Amino acid sequence: MLRRSPLRLSVYVVLVVAVLASAGCERRGGCTGSNCGTLINAAVGEPATLLPPSSEDIVANDIGEQLFLKLADVGMSENTLGDEDFQALLAQKWEWDGPRTLVFHLDPRARWQDGQPVTAADVEFTFNAYNDSAVGSPYRPKLHRIASVTQRDSLTAVFRFKERYPEMFYDAVYHMRILPAHLLRPVPRDQWRNAPFGRQPVGDGPYRFVRWQAAQSIELVADSTFFLGRPGIRRLIWRFTPNLQVAVQQAIADEADVREQLVTPDNVERARAAKQLAVYTYRGNVYTLLWFNQRSPDDSTLPHPIFADRDVRRALTMAVDRASLLKSALGELAKVPPGPMSELLGIWDPDIRQLPYDTAQAARILSAHGWRDHDGDGVRDKNGQPLEFHVLVPTTSVLRRQYARLLQEQYRAIGVKVDIDELEAAVVNQRAATGKFDTAILSRANDPSPSSGIAQSWTRAGFGGSNFGRYYNPELERLVDRAVTANTRDQARALWRAAMETVNADAPGIFLYALDNVAAVHKRVENVQFRPDSWAALLRTWRIPPDRLIDRDRVER
Amino acid sequence: MTFGTWFALFVALVVAAEAVRALRHRGLRQERWRRFFRHRTTTWGLGILTFLVIMALAAPLIAPFEPNRQLDILHLTNHPPSWTFLLGTDYLSRDVWSRAVYGARVSLGIGALGALVAVSLGTLVGAAAGYYQRWIDAVLMRGVDVGLALPRIFILLMAVALWDGLPFAALVIAIGLTSWFGTSRLVRAEVLSLRQRDFVVAAHALGAGTGRVIFRHVLPNAAAPIIVSAALGVGNVLLLEAALSFLGIGIKPPDASWGNMIADGASSIYTAPWSTLFPGLAISLVVMSLNAVADGVRDALDPRGEPS
Amino acid sequence: MTGGGAAWLVRRLIASLAIIFAVVTFVFILIHVAPGKPCPENVDPGVCDQLNQQFGLDKPILEQYWRYLVELAHGNLGYSFSLHRPVLEAIAETLPFTLQLAGAALVLDFLLGLGLGIYQAGRVNRLPDVVLGNVTLFIYSLPTFWLALLLLLVFGEKLRWFPVGGASDPVLCPVVHSLYCAADRLWHMVLPAATLGLVGAAGTARFQRAAMLEVATQDYVRTARAKGLPERRVVLRHQLRNALLSFITRFGLAFPFLLTGAVLIETIFAWPGMGRLAFEAILMRDYPLVTATALFASTVVVAGNLVADILLGIADPRLRVRAGVEVETATA
Repeated sequence: MLRRSPLRLSVYVVLVVAVLASAGCERRGGCTGSNCGTLINAAVGEPATLLPPSSEDIVANDIGEQLFLKLADVGMSENTLGDEDFQALLAQKWEWDGPRTLVFHLDPRARWQDGQPVTAADVEFTFNAYNDSAVGSPYRPKLHRIASVTQRDSLTAVFRFKERYPEMFYDAVYHMRILPAHLLRPVPRDQWRNAPFGRQPVGDGPYRFVRWQAAQSIELVADSTFFLGRPGIRRLIWRFTPNLQVAVQQAIADEADVREQLVTPDNVERARAAKQLAVYTYRGNVYTLLWFNQRSPDDSTLPHPIFADRDVRRALTMAVDRASLLKSALGELAKVPPGPMSELLGIWDPDIRQLPYDTAQAARILSAHGWRDHDGDGVRDKNGQPLEFHVLVPTTSVLRRQYARLLQEQYRAIGVKVDIDELEAAVVNQRAATGKFDTAILSRANDPSPSSGIAQSWTRAGFGGSNFGRYYNPELERLVDRAVTANTRDQARALWRAAMETVNADAPGIFLYALDNVAAVHKRVENVQFRPDSWAALLRTWRIPPDRLIDRDRVER
Repeated sequence: MTFGTWFALFVALVVAAEAVRALRHRGLRQERWRRFFRHRTTTWGLGILTFLVIMALAAPLIAPFEPNRQLDILHLTNHPPSWTFLLGTDYLSRDVWSRAVYGARVSLGIGALGALVAVSLGTLVGAAAGYYQRWIDAVLMRGVDVGLALPRIFILLMAVALWDGLPFAALVIAIGLTSWFGTSRLVRAEVLSLRQRDFVVAAHALGAGTGRVIFRHVLPNAAAPIIVSAALGVGNVLLLEAALSFLGIGIKPPDASWGNMIADGASSIYTAPWSTLFPGLAISLVVMSLNAVADGVRDALDPRGEPS
Repeated sequence: MTGGGAAWLVRRLIASLAIIFAVVTFVFILIHVAPGKPCPENVDPGVCDQLNQQFGLDKPILEQYWRYLVELAHGNLGYSFSLHRPVLEAIAETLPFTLQLAGAALVLDFLLGLGLGIYQAGRVNRLPDVVLGNVTLFIYSLPTFWLALLLLLVFGEKLRWFPVGGASDPVLCPVVHSLYCAADRLWHMVLPAATLGLVGAAGTARFQRAAMLEVATQDYVRTARAKGLPERRVVLRHQLRNALLSFITRFGLAFPFLLTGAVLIETIFAWPGMGRLAFEAILMRDYPLVTATALFASTVVVAGNLVADILLGIADPRLRVRAGVEVETATA
């Protein structure tokens, strides 16, 4: 037996090798031409649902861009005022029927993927769904200036606004993705989050949903009859990885074609060194902050024992050397935000007044407010309570975990104790949304205009929504209102600046970094365009020329 | 590394080597000790273990920097090993060598504590089962079967999921409480065979109580599997703690344990492999030494020897 | 098998079922001993209702226990509030992946381990034995997750011999529908299975070597040698067969190691198995999912032990007793 088994083993080995070799033959042949191509995106984190109103998840949004159309979308200039710089999508043309009425004429060629035409009834249904508190959409507050949406006939939808302001058109078109009424009407509104439609969506966009393999990938295929032009790349696959490291590894090892954000300098270096990858930079639309919860995590009607005090928050903000932290973790790949914004927002201005980095003053303020180290253990305390709090961080983000540790050390130097809780991203978002946290390091993606995002996160309209820390300042609300309805761009700018300075002075959080986006895309892909507010918005215009097709592009299924 | 810390390190090395050599010398007179030291790996294992224990105990003297101090986040991150930073620095500019030395405290301490709980419980249960037999034995051994059916990590994951904010000490005890099943089987087998031996019968005849018989007569002769279990148990607990810390549910930052050092370094393994490499090697070294020592003990106390 | 054999088999089956039942009870007790509301605050009311139905949270504890057992018997393991689907569905999708991985690792473990152990025993205390002895000792002592990171770095990223994580090529083989896809799955399985298999093999080699040497000194082997039988026959017939018996016993104990290792390895290699599911469930504090994975893991272990016992019973009818076997294994 001993003598025979090596022989038998080697026979098996030869068989396996032969199978593998012959199986390689299956790859050749298949799709040729200019509309082939498979693009694999190494995505971090799997979405819960693909139903647009129920999801704020970034990956779900990117996929939603391919499946569902908006009435119109911003152009590369990211201008949100008026209606000249917008690209027509579902709406072929539009006109103003009075100062507060906007009429859209839908493109008659638009079809849902089950063959039904897209009608104004869908638009009306969509607005009512987004607005319905039973659906609980995070986009709902952004639509509060729209009074109603009705259908005049099957291809004409009428938007009525409560007041007149410069961004009416933007509010009407940007936030909602039009949904198929005939498929979603039967679904009870409070079950939209778990609806099967969210895992097998039917849309009207350039791509069609093919399959969702749980924990592995989502596959989309191009709709060759798409009325705005056949997409260049035939197949899109989002492949889920547990964290950024693995995603970058896959891109570098040529197992993925796109990584839309490399984040760290290390990753950028490695991507540049990879022969098959081209590196693109585009304006960042995300900023990250340490959010202070001003209500008690156990009972949201009570103030937080530490963070309800404005001076303490200011002191804790002054104790952090944001510039050094940024340089250490990100090198040149990000900037310290002058407020709750990313560079995408036109109001970005490094001269906006912010709190300085001044540990001496921070220590003075803390001591003045009774936080002193009475028991000599290195941690300040007051009335027997130590100055100690938890930081909530998602496990998927190596960068934010690094920041948590950096902050921990910064605070240790002034006698503040920080405990780090690392949980899955979905749980972090849940806890933030329900106010069950002390502080959390969260990332916010900006819309192209400050009017939607700023109000959501920093005014009372965002209570129960995106204003996780329950920050409220009536002066800020006034400024934001005036800024949104300001008549000229310069007026708006000045008002936004004042608003930002108010937020900075109140220190509802520490605005840590705003990433410059650096993406890696396989060199064979042509016409790569990134629109900063949504990198995947123009995916349908990317192309792979026929002479550059590789094996996975040619697969025909 | 300063002169003081180099000196302390040197002293630790010398003390460990001398201790082992002295032990070996003294033991040469007895057959058992001769068998224990017969293989070179056992001697080395014991030496390495002694050295690491001394290092852990004398951590403040040997480590040149505070383990959690971020020395200079702008200039000293991911610094390769040098004379100042013996094992380099990690991505937060902390000295890997200092963290490893203090991490030895945590990891070895947890290993010892967990193994202590496991071996004590296992010995008690196994001795009771083997000695009393019949229904006590049946019940206890069925319980052991159930315990062996649940893979440890799942029980620990369940504990972490159900008890939010579980303190790590409780987790260590939990590790111990889930690791005693194998030991109990071994002790039971040993006690079963020893029970019939003359000295036990004699003790009974002389009127010794059960407890006395077990503790003073049976267990000392069952020492072999107990000691071997203890040695291997420390290794198992250490690996388990490292795994839990790696998964993020073990030792919390900023404190160092060899497991979470590996996790921290995993993201920069490509550019700064030393921060992952050395803690991993440390764990392997300890477990290897423990296994080698366990081999030696088995050799020494087991009447059946290997053909040479 | 004889009539006694059948009775023995039935007894073993009943014992296995009893163990699983005890595990189920233990899990139930653990859930109820833990503090805190079982229904997280922000979960949809529908999910809360499901949890209530499964655990009967406001009823007396015995009734809850009964309902828990009834639901289990019907295959209702509860609803995962993090994945928005029934737990059974999530596990049914991932369990095959873990079994594939464990199977491959087991094959590697025993082929390599047995081979090494036998080889070493044949050349005991000579140079190959000493070298291999130290190598196996080293590998046996490695933390599996550390080895996984190294293998991924060297073979996945630097040498590009094997894929960097995942279970299949998402383009060509999202589902295994052809021989090519089966081969693709195997190719993705190499690194994770190698990690588990190598460490297991090192342990098996050490154990097998010791077992074979122990057998070598026993009387019947010496007798066979003294009778003048050719060396090869002595080795093959006697040593191997009896050493194999102890190997079969060890086989049952490999499962806890594999399942524990699966949690770490699957996470590192993004292998979509039950281990990774359990770990992600932890990060989401999704305890219905975690407890269900624990139950499945135990079932696999018990099944493995049962198979080992049956094999042992077939191979040597004398040994139809679960003896206290002297093996210690590192299970991380």
